[in-house]
Amino acid sequence: MSHQLGRVVSEILLRYFGEIVQQVGNDLFTYGSKPIGMIVKTTGLLRSQVIESLRTLLKFDLATFEPSANEIIADYKLLPDNVLLLLRYPRYLLQMKTKYGSEAEILIEELLQQASCTATVLIIAVATKYKDDKEKNINIIRLKDTFISLATAGYIQQAPVAELNEGSEIPTLVPVATIVPDLDSRVIVQAMNSGNIAEANDNIYWRVHYDRFHQDFRDDIMIKAMTRRIDENAGELMRLLLQQMYLASSPWAHESNAIPAMDLRELCRRSAAERPLLHQHVDHYLKVLEENGSGFVVRDGDAGGGLYVVRARDAAQKLLVSVLEHTVTERLGSHAARIFRLILAKKYIEEEDIQKHAMLPNKECKELTYKLLEEHFISVHPMRKAASSGGMNKAVYLYHIKLRDVAQTAVEMCYRSLHNVIKRGAYERTRHSRLREKQRRVRSIVHGMRLRGEPQHNIDDVEETLTPPEIALLQGVEKQLKQLNSAELELDKTLFILKWEKDMDEDNKRFT
Amino acid sequence: MTEDELKEKILSLAKKNPKGITVNDITAAHPDLTSAELVNTINKLLQQGSFDIFNQGGTLLYRFKNQANKQAVKGADNEEKVVFNLISEAGNKGIWIRDIRVRSNLANTQLTKVLKNLESKKLIKAVKCVNASKKKVYMLYNLEPDRSISGGAWYQDQDFESEFVDILNRQCLKFLQQRADKIKCNPRGPIIGRTQSYAAAAEVQKYITDLGISNVKLEVEDFITILNTLVYDGKAESTVYPDGSKVYRAIEALIPAPGIVQVPCGVCPLINKCYSSGLITPQQCVYMAEWLE
Ligand code: SF4
Repeated sequence: MSHQLGRVVSEILLRYFGEIVQQVGNDLFTYGSKPIGMIVKTTGLLRSQVIESLRTLLKFDLATFEPSANEIIADYKLLPDNVLLLLRYPRYLLQMKTKYGSEAEILIEELLQQASCTATVLIIAVATKYKDDKEKNINIIRLKDTFISLATAGYIQQAPVAELNEGSEIPTLVPVATIVPDLDSRVIVQAMNSGNIAEANDNIYWRVHYDRFHQDFRDDIMIKAMTRRIDENAGELMRLLLQQMYLASSPWAHESNAIPAMDLRELCRRSAAERPLLHQHVDHYLKVLEENGSGFVVRDGDAGGGLYVVRARDAAQKLLVSVLEHTVTERLGSHAARIFRLILAKKYIEEEDIQKHAMLPNKECKELTYKLLEEHFISVHPMRKAASSGGMNKAVYLYHIKLRDVAQTAVEMCYRSLHNVIKRGAYERTRHSRLREKQRRVRSIVHGMRLRGEPQHNIDDVEETLTPPEIALLQGVEKQLKQLNSAELELDKTLFILKWEKDMDEDNKRFT
Repeated sequence: MTEDELKEKILSLAKKNPKGITVNDITAAHPDLTSAELVNTINKLLQQGSFDIFNQGGTLLYRFKNQANKQAVKGADNEEKVVFNLISEAGNKGIWIRDIRVRSNLANTQLTKVLKNLESKKLIKAVKCVNASKKKVYMLYNLEPDRSISGGAWYQDQDFESEFVDILNRQCLKFLQQRADKIKCNPRGPIIGRTQSYAAAAEVQKYITDLGISNVKLEVEDFITILNTLVYDGKAESTVYPDGSKVYRAIEALIPAPGIVQVPCGVCPLINKCYSSGLITPQQCVYMAEWLE
């Protein structure tokens, strides 16, 4: 695993869980997997500290364990990809809010914080937290309903349970199939009022199902891409295609099962009022969806008015290429990107031909080609030509692009950037920590004074302890931190696309 | 205009087109000629033996006949004749010295001498290839080198005119973009919309020619070359119509600029030299500071 990944993961652990967990995480990352005793030895931490850290990591599914060779003690292993997901939490929440409203958002937020808990505990915890919040107007019945819809839609799932195998002292986690629960809101209300939660508890633990969110993210990318390429109607049709795809295909399949055009026509007919153009020209839209060079959708036979297939794998690849092209353009300029695309289109190409097609001066073309090589965007393949007529043996250098490798280069670059952005954020935070602390204190004092109804000029006095330059500085810092934060989210989005294609290939089963 | 001037004009036109010219070509190039003058001059030229006359698909084609050729062959020895013929066969694509050697069976030194001789008599010339700077080819003195040798419109004395190409590239894109939106929510459906957003190379040619940014005459071929660079720029796509003509249309990238290029690190030349501590660190980075401003 890459050193750069280790650096980001370490920074993330520091930010969310503090230094001790960071140390344990670093240790696990470097050594792959090891038992508690060894962690204590290399980190020099107290045994209790290590155990506490591991507990945190395990709780949030950031680490896992497996029996070591002797079956008596457990080896622990960090799950760096899951650590990266911590950065994605804000997007999960936003997704919930837009799709299911603020109850869902609050439920998911709470569940992410608890990592896993039972339905009753979760609902009561949320209800208690927002009891006094008139604005949100949370009530148990609505929470319960939302919970059930989230479970039905697969955004939350039952947590795996630990089982002891025979002959081993280390439990293994066994996934369980999720059954949508039948919750009785009256029982929950009673439990909440009596404070006796145990009675209503069913001991079924729930957790957030990240993959379900990732499906949404993927769909969103594909729909947006079609909207950009063609228009909103095409985007809408893409959405319908994906929706139909889920009915009969596993969500992360490379290629969906065939989707009858007839069903799509029917769906468009139903929404004819909002999208008259789409309804009128469904078949034409299907055709341009197929023929726009994106390869998201292909026609697969004419049975029953035409069958269409969504090609998620090709889509992943095309989007990956798009990210890479943007990256090359910004790093080395648009002429370099032209060469990059040219090589990609021709698969294997000689230097001379690059110059001819790219229409660039000799020297510039050479320079850019070497820069691309240097930054690992392209690779070169020397080939000995068979003795030619003149008896001269000339080596030919063929340029080409190993997409997977280039994607990895870009992933590394993202890790580096992510690390730097987080590090800079942490640095800005500590640099201004004293001032920020002061601001916090002033705020809480003012809040207390307001509650007590103290006279305004007293409040003003307290507020004025923050001088105008200080306030300006604080605002500046706030803005910077916000910008760094949104950069993190954007980098995470890039990583999502870069890894999507690879993940699909590596284990298609993980997603079923 | 005197008769000699007229002859000169028509001859130079014919020289430029080694494949031959028709009467229409002449009138197109010199619209001020009366048909009487034209017929007269052509007849004179034919008499002089400056023209060969061909019948091609019903139209008469006049081709410039180099009298020097005959003379050269007359006064030359056998080696010169062989070499001269090889070179003249090669036409305006030229022939490489190694190929002459192989096919003429002459020794290297002798061949160089023969070539020198012919060159000094101004019967042949050596032309450098644009796409292989070391490679020289020989062709008849009066020929205009082929595009593949001279590089065509994009070369000025072997120098590639990249600015010219860039300007054309931008103008072509502008032209395509003007109609690119036709596909969006077109009331007549996306296929018709797409067709409306396509432009054939010939249309682009007309647009650019009318703009008058180029003082060289650019052929449709040239525009296809330029339009293809747009395809490699990811800014256009192309397709072929059933009648074989190529059409182009401007497109958008599938995704907007991704996060990686929105942060300074993604475009930073020092990214591989930037560490948690040391000379270049994210904490002290000026790129970051500028970006956060
Ligand atoms: S932190 Fe600064 S120096 Fe380091 S990679 Fe980013 S932009 Fe470059």
